[in-house]
Amino acid sequence: MKMLVVEDEQGLAESISAYLSREGYRCEMAATYAEADEKMYLYEYDCVIVDLTLPGGDGLQLIETLKKRTASTGIIIISARNALEDRIKGLEVGSDDYLTKPFHLSELNARVKSLIRRRNFGGHNEIQYREILVQVQARKVFVNQQETVLSRKEYDLLLYFLANIDVALTKASIAEHLWGDHIDSADSLDMVYSHIKNLRRKLVEKGSGDYIRSIYGIGYKFGTA
Amino acid sequence: MRLLEKTNRIYLLFSVILYLATALAFYGIIKWLIYDEVENRLLVEKRDFQLYIQHYGWTANSYFVENKIEVELGSVPSGFKESFKDTLIEDRYTQKLVPFRQLTFYESIKGVEHRVAIRKSMIQSYRLMEAITFTMATVLALLLAGTYWFQDRLSGRIWQPFYETLSRIKQFDLVRGQHLQLDQPDIIEFRELNEVLQKMSDQILHDYLHLKEFTENASHELQTPLALITAKVEELIQSEHLTENQTRWIQTIYEASLRMSRLYQGLLLLARIENRQFANEQPINLSDQLLERLRDMEELFQYKGIRLHTNIDAPFWVNLPPVLAENLITNLVSNALRHNVPQGEIWLYATDSDLCLSNTGHPLQNAPKDLFSRFKKEGVSSESVGLGLSIVKEICDQYGLQIHYTEQEGIHKFCLSNKTVVA
Repeated sequence: MKMLVVEDEQGLAESISAYLSREGYRCEMAATYAEADEKMYLYEYDCVIVDLTLPGGDGLQLIETLKKRTASTGIIIISARNALEDRIKGLEVGSDDYLTKPFHLSELNARVKSLIRRRNFGGHNEIQYREILVQVQARKVFVNQQETVLSRKEYDLLLYFLANIDVALTKASIAEHLWGDHIDSADSLDMVYSHIKNLRRKLVEKGSGDYIRSIYGIGYKFGTA
Repeated sequence: MRLLEKTNRIYLLFSVILYLATALAFYGIIKWLIYDEVENRLLVEKRDFQLYIQHYGWTANSYFVENKIEVELGSVPSGFKESFKDTLIEDRYTQKLVPFRQLTFYESIKGVEHRVAIRKSMIQSYRLMEAITFTMATVLALLLAGTYWFQDRLSGRIWQPFYETLSRIKQFDLVRGQHLQLDQPDIIEFRELNEVLQKMSDQILHDYLHLKEFTENASHELQTPLALITAKVEELIQSEHLTENQTRWIQTIYEASLRMSRLYQGLLLLARIENRQFANEQPINLSDQLLERLRDMEELFQYKGIRLHTNIDAPFWVNLPPVLAENLITNLVSNALRHNVPQGEIWLYATDSDLCLSNTGHPLQNAPKDLFSRFKKEGVSSESVGLGLSIVKEICDQYGLQIHYTEQEGIHKFCLSNKTVVA
């Protein structure tokens, strides 16, 4: 999978590409409009992450040219602009997703994975992690071929974990993933805990390994490492 | 009272007094002149009479016209002084009382004391007096009315630029961002006034736009560095070799950056609501949306042990952009949750004119009027940035809604109602 990160803030671009590289993507970076345009002209990418305010031009313009050239490329906009009109405009020119800065890298990663899944399999796909199998289209979870019934939030939580295996996830990023950014009270963090407890119980009951580990002061990690 | 009305009234009062005084004075002067003339004539006639009786004596068939002279026997009473007086005498033919001026004196005719009264009819003089007074009064009144009318029109025209300026200032709306346009009248004072006002309003507008732009830009530009911080923190926490202290510091940095981001997003939202940058106003069933939101959060209610009571008599409709309706609900609900007590309650009550959301909670620490102010936080809870209710208030202010807060026995109640629309 080849990715292009178009972001003029050097540090942020590095963080994104480091995070995504760890997930096994090949990441390239472009810091200006011209550079991004040139790279997109020369190479083909599976997914492009674009900041809207770029030196030398508007990210939306970039997306439009890209869409005309190779329509199959997945596009995620990362922008500091949070207005509905910007989101709508972004989706209109052909982007697949819109993330407002500041965002969690884990959230970006989850969105990238979901996007690639949608593009490559049209959603008819399965995620397998050891004995856990998720049928994405049907929203069903199996552990050792036994179906486990999860609530909506527990299912979303599991998917988020599966997108970020062996990565420390902060409680805030989990809460935001589950409830959007309009829940900002301390309660949501407690609720994260209660959902994780339930998910863990339901998975272990069906005979799965206990993959969710809590990291003191930070959050949780899903994986074996 | 308007300025013109005031001056006009004073002017009118003054001129009426002046008019009355002039009319009276006029009447007095004319009367005095005529009397003076008549009395002089009477004195002349007295001398004529005295000369006549010296030569001829007094016989009954005098050549004097009837009523003109009256002679009868009588002696001088003590302290008598020759004097003029007004008297009325009946006309022989018309039986009408006619005014006369009469001079009475005593004269001895052939050694016998007589009382003599010489008279002069005043009827002609009175007519003259009336005619002159009437003419004068009419002319004066016309003059008065004329000047009044002229003055009224004139000052109306003179003050017109002032009223024009006034109405322009009234229409001036800072939020619309349009410059105040004022004329350049001929009158120096008004021109200076306009110039000063123009300068002032331009400055205010300039400052306002600057401040607005600053808030927007600051909020916007801060998101990228904040994204950088959160990204780096996320990378940092992936490291396996953090000490407990380091973890805590990182956690603090992370939370602070998230809070800052929320804060700026809140400020940005407020600025955008103030600028009415949300299009697409439409009728929204707010009570239904609120109910839906509360149901969505059921798990949270269960978690906190909060009981929810709903009573929707009729749907409550508002005209709002959907994004803002969403925001309004979010802020009201999270307010009701955040300041609730464990095992508390939340009530939703709606009619077609009101929508009320109440919650149990601790008594207010700040004054109720500060409730909707920015950054007035109840308590020290760090996850709240203190903008929620200001956003609610701003949405209400901008879109013709009223929000009303009451507190009774530990129950805090927020009521929304549509402002009565003046048709």
